[in-house]
Amino acid sequence: MDNSQKKNLKKLMTTEFYLLLFLILVLLFLAVFAKGFYDLSNLMNLLNRFNYVLIAAVGMNMIIITSNIDVSAGALVSVLCIIAASLGKQGLPIGVFLPVTMAAGAVLSMINGLFITKLHIPAIVATLATTQLFQGVLPLAVNGSIYDLPATFTWLAYDAKLFGIFPASTVLMLVVIVTGLLFMKYSKFSKKLYAIGNNKNGARLAGVNVDRTIVIAYTIAGALYGITAVIIGTASQRVTTTMANGKEMTFIAAVVLGGTSTAGGSGKLIGTVIGAFILSLVSPAINYLGISPDWSDAIMGGIIILSVVASAVNIKKKRRISAAPGGR
Amino acid sequence: MKTVKKLKFTFNIALLLILIVIFAAISILNPVFLSPEYLLNVVLRNVVELGLISLPMTLIIITGGIDLSVGNIMVLSAMVGAMAAGRMGSVAGVIVTFLVGLACGLFNGIIIAKVKVPAMVTTLASMFLFLGLTRGMTGGDSVYAFPAAEAVGSKLFLGIPVQIFIYMICAVLFYILLAKSTFGRRLFGIGLNSNATKYCGVDIEKMLIRIYALSGLMCALAALIMIGRFSSLRYDAGTNINLKVITIVVLGGTSILGGTGDLKGTILATLIIGVLNSGLTVLNIPIDTQTIVHGTILIISLIAYEIVNRRTSSKRLKEVKTELLKKTG
Repeated sequence: MDNSQKKNLKKLMTTEFYLLLFLILVLLFLAVFAKGFYDLSNLMNLLNRFNYVLIAAVGMNMIIITSNIDVSAGALVSVLCIIAASLGKQGLPIGVFLPVTMAAGAVLSMINGLFITKLHIPAIVATLATTQLFQGVLPLAVNGSIYDLPATFTWLAYDAKLFGIFPASTVLMLVVIVTGLLFMKYSKFSKKLYAIGNNKNGARLAGVNVDRTIVIAYTIAGALYGITAVIIGTASQRVTTTMANGKEMTFIAAVVLGGTSTAGGSGKLIGTVIGAFILSLVSPAINYLGISPDWSDAIMGGIIILSVVASAVNIKKKRRISAAPGGR
Repeated sequence: MKTVKKLKFTFNIALLLILIVIFAAISILNPVFLSPEYLLNVVLRNVVELGLISLPMTLIIITGGIDLSVGNIMVLSAMVGAMAAGRMGSVAGVIVTFLVGLACGLFNGIIIAKVKVPAMVTTLASMFLFLGLTRGMTGGDSVYAFPAAEAVGSKLFLGIPVQIFIYMICAVLFYILLAKSTFGRRLFGIGLNSNATKYCGVDIEKMLIRIYALSGLMCALAALIMIGRFSSLRYDAGTNINLKVITIVVLGGTSILGGTGDLKGTILATLIIGVLNSGLTVLNIPIDTQTIVHGTILIISLIAYEIVNRRTSSKRLKEVKTELLKKTG
């Protein structure tokens, strides 16, 4: 038992270690070949993008560890952007619309959790259905976009700078990630998440309230999507109804790239951090390398495929036969 | 075994009833809907691509897998095919379209079956890859139809759009493949218990690679029809299709967990979605409401499926109990 745990730890360490190595290589490569990549303004743009991807990915990470998934994240963030914007339009400061957006996110995401646990609908299908609901409701409520937003709304993206250079969303990101790392390492709740992902029935027999834990995981993720929505929304004076559609794939990809298995029960938050960073790096990097931005999705897909294939080959021998291909 | 049969039966009947109710309601609200031209040229024609892809998707979901990249395979193969047709003529265009579809399907299948990466992760990543390749190659421009694609996408045969015949032939072939062949039985086996199936001597890896490749080929066929129907395609045309196809398959009663499902349900669900889409358009209901309707129908069908499922399984449990009691006296 002790030995196998050590082995397990070692395996996880190397996944993250290789990822970090890859990241460093890419950064060195960019330093040599991409002129102007290390410009301050470019780095700050990159950081802003990294901030919102990571904050949402922290929530997604918790969900995926329980072997569930949330494909409604993009549509939900779009809804939350509009909620934030409609509050911001009234001139309300960020101190008001950030918590309200987070609460709205928590409630809407909780609905996903309830569908999954109470009605026993598989997560991917349940969130697929709610994606359609979110996407459908938005244009009915808002005609295309909310525009002419006041300076109080865009304050986070334009005026709030840490030490005059860092985007203020970095503070949000740091708070989320530090809390997240401590939470995932030391809290009882995180152990329950891993237990559910590894063996749902085992966890139930050991006294874990499986349904409630999953609903809470979705609720926390929803609140985090709220922060992401505020960062995305405040970046311009016009918030459209399709602002974050499709972003769920980036969030899931960050988690998967970070070494978390979609089968659940394994994966570390620190891997997700590196994964999110690599993915945020792609589009500015190829821009500075002189490649057309049209190739960014292809490169992102290639990186994800390479990393999952590499990690699968790595652990293939150790894997139980019962972990059948095409499984959940 | 008997109860399982009964379950499928009631579910398909329920789907048929839903179809009839929706159909009747829309026809009463707007009689234009009932005209044969409208039914053929709009209602059925618009849903053929989705229907074609949902056939192999049913097989994939029955094995417990999923393919999130179908829409993007479709657009990628249409793009490359149209480019080839522009340089080397229609025949080359068709061949290249199918080759690209096959290659994409094989790519997914090999990673899923040989490297054993979960299907969802693989196809999620390859979705990005195919979308990106399409976007990179076209630089964001549209591609245009070529004669061979127009022949299947916008021509009539005996007064009926050609693609409807294609869909009917494919539906029958897939039905036979799934319900009447050993291949189909094995797919259910993989979905129910892949280890047991493996030790029964089934080459699971080969089977999986085959169905993902088949899915790629069907995407290519749908791609030809789609580019012929619209006469031009943009690189992101396929992204919405992925989820719509899964909606159809799940609505048709195929369990996303694998092991249960049949093609009659998928075909009925295709018709329901087709009637709904065109029906809501006829009734002048905005497209966004249609999305809500899709989502709601999906949720209702899932809940209904869950209730039917739970009831039959508890009934079965009771039967087993009474039998045991009888035996033990």
